[in-house]
Amino acid sequence: MIDILLFIVLPYLAVFICVFGSIYRIRTAPMTYSSLSSQFLESKGLMWGSLPWHLGITIILLAHVVAFLVPGFWQSLMSHQSVLLFVEAIGLGLSVLCVLGLIVLGVRRLTSSKLQAVTSTMDLVVILLLLLQVGLGAAVAVHCKWGSSWCSGTTTPYIWSLITFAPDISHIADLPVLVKSHIVGAWLFLLVIPFSRLIHMFAVPIEYLVRPPQNVVWTNSRKWASEENVFADDETRRHFVRAFLGITFGGFLLGVGTFRNIFLFFFGPRLSRKEETELMELRLARLESTMDQRKLELERQAANYILVCKFSELNAETGKYFIDYQMQPAIAFKGKDGLPLLISAKCTHLGCTVGNDVDGEGRILCPCHVSYFNIETGQPNAEAPAKAPLPHIGWVIMDERGKVLARRNTDGRTEGTIAAEQQETARVYIAKGQEERA
Amino acid sequence: MSKIGTTFNTISDFVKERFPADKLNYHSMVEKKEVPVHHMSWGYYTGGLTMFFFMMQVLTGLFLLFYYQPTVSDAHVSVEYINKYVAGGALVRNMHAWSSSCMIFFAMLHLLTAFAMKSFVRPRELTWIAGVILLFITFTFGFTGYLLPWNQIAVNATKVGLQSVEYVGQYLPGQLADVPRILRETFQGESSVGQSTLGRFYALHVVILPLALAGLLGLHLLQVQLHGMSQGVDQAAKRSEKFMSIFVFKDLTLWATVFLILFVLALCVPFESFLPFPLLAPFNALGSTPAGIKPEWYFYFVYYPLELLPFWVILVASMVVVGILIFTPWIFRGTSRRTLSFIALMAGAYLVIMTVFGEQIYQFFKH
Repeated sequence: MIDILLFIVLPYLAVFICVFGSIYRIRTAPMTYSSLSSQFLESKGLMWGSLPWHLGITIILLAHVVAFLVPGFWQSLMSHQSVLLFVEAIGLGLSVLCVLGLIVLGVRRLTSSKLQAVTSTMDLVVILLLLLQVGLGAAVAVHCKWGSSWCSGTTTPYIWSLITFAPDISHIADLPVLVKSHIVGAWLFLLVIPFSRLIHMFAVPIEYLVRPPQNVVWTNSRKWASEENVFADDETRRHFVRAFLGITFGGFLLGVGTFRNIFLFFFGPRLSRKEETELMELRLARLESTMDQRKLELERQAANYILVCKFSELNAETGKYFIDYQMQPAIAFKGKDGLPLLISAKCTHLGCTVGNDVDGEGRILCPCHVSYFNIETGQPNAEAPAKAPLPHIGWVIMDERGKVLARRNTDGRTEGTIAAEQQETARVYIAKGQEERA
Repeated sequence: MSKIGTTFNTISDFVKERFPADKLNYHSMVEKKEVPVHHMSWGYYTGGLTMFFFMMQVLTGLFLLFYYQPTVSDAHVSVEYINKYVAGGALVRNMHAWSSSCMIFFAMLHLLTAFAMKSFVRPRELTWIAGVILLFITFTFGFTGYLLPWNQIAVNATKVGLQSVEYVGQYLPGQLADVPRILRETFQGESSVGQSTLGRFYALHVVILPLALAGLLGLHLLQVQLHGMSQGVDQAAKRSEKFMSIFVFKDLTLWATVFLILFVLALCVPFESFLPFPLLAPFNALGSTPAGIKPEWYFYFVYYPLELLPFWVILVASMVVVGILIFTPWIFRGTSRRTLSFIALMAGAYLVIMTVFGEQIYQFFKH
């Protein structure tokens, strides 16, 4: 019964009285359609009270209106965790700002002797009511978290049921007392609008943001002297309001987008088991190839002979890469004489690795600056940027027991031969001391 | 004795004029400073932009430092890891790449405009020389940073770059002929570009060069604030605006805009999308060098001539250019700004043409 009274009768009554009361007041007493300015009487406290209060409450009320009027859009926003977090955080922050502003405004009303003269009882009631309502709102934000999300299943349908004249309080019947009090507070707040200074909110002073500053000052000589300062103060306040709005909005964007990502950047990725395995395998493979490289180096320091490949693997068209004693790339071909032809693959121009495919003219190509090297002579083509020939490398052929069958020395002399039946098992080596260019 | 005294006096006068102690205060360096307004005023923003990009490099570089690992086995994987897994990693890395190019572009533009506006004459010689060295440091930043991802193009381009140093040796007489080789080996650290090279380049790129650049930048900015903006045009400008806070705020607005552009660019266009994949594959010490090894675009102006002309021509030409750059304050002391603008325009045209059409010019003369 009491619920029906508070949540159905009261709201309709409040809206009715608010609408018709306000219209009546503007028709009978249009000059009172404002919040009687007291900046004239006391401006310092006003600045620290009125500014935070109005900045806070404007944004909070706008959020309430958006949430109730376009619930679909609101809910789609709130379904992002970070947006929800920031709306809640900013909402709570702004409500604290409101409370602080209201306290300053209240203390100012109660303590300034000049203001006492123009303060009505209704003004004090309004401050008290607002303080109560904002306090309740903040308490809801603290005790019943994520209101910006749960409102879409509770208070929003309730409001819409009122708007569509099909009142249904089942949506809010089970809400905590705290929330219910906040709702009742809202209706009471509507109720007092026509009887108080609150009516000024129907005259939204949007043009204040853009119109040239106006100032009301005492016209005594002392004030005249400080007139410039007064205007400067006024400008400062205007900038402050704009900057505050800009920073709140920018901060919201930053908070939702950048800071979260910056944090996540340093937090580091959390990989799935599959990704982790893939990454590990990749790392291991790279480590192994580095290990191979190191082993090659070690081998070249210790061993007198380094295996290039099996003799049977040699090919006249496509060379086989190997690493010579200086840890530089080299290529092994089968020469025209049927014996190995080992040639350095480090381009004599700027040290790129020369390709291993022999073209129709018996040349290999360095892709960096297009030098063609004849593999028989090592000489580059005439137009090539490389001028020096690729050096040949001496080699040794051994059978599987390590007996030397043939060798080519640094001076290009060849000793020994390789019989046809030995070709299957013979292996090609480079020898220490023979690494000097042949 | 008196001769020594005169020399000493000359030096001390020089220093006194470049570091006027009476101006070393906030009032004359910031509050009193004015920026002339004329048709070349846009040139005053180029230096600030270069500094902005440097700050972006420091910031994004610090970010990358958290994940990058400077070893031959891990470097490429760690870069891939940043790109693939780290939240916003690809964006940060991409911003670092785009911003590096922008920094070099604006440093060169700054040099050309400062030259055209004759901002180097007494007492601003030190500003100019510090600026020229800053430009060289910036190029070195580009060269050392290029190696760090340890992919095919990185290692092979570094090999070519370092080998070019050794090439100088053939033009030097006697014992000196060995100096370039020793120099290359010092930077390379081993017989081929490998772990030692990577370690050295990493140390240069993240510690030594930033410190050197920051120190010189301090001197550069101190000189700029001490001596104020140069006049910039031959007839004294009719109007000027306060440095603090009109110009500073304009500068900040420009930085904010440029940041937005950089951010969106880095978000949308991967810097690496201009290279074919084989060049971005991890470096393979045992394979052949893939085709298309090139330095970054900002080296084209010296790379393509190097491909086309004999090495000694480039060597002599670059030594002459460096000499001219360093001694500009004395060489062009009496030249009018009209002539300087013309020279700067020609130099700029050369840089643009070589950078944009270098490939075509190379193909045209080679085939």
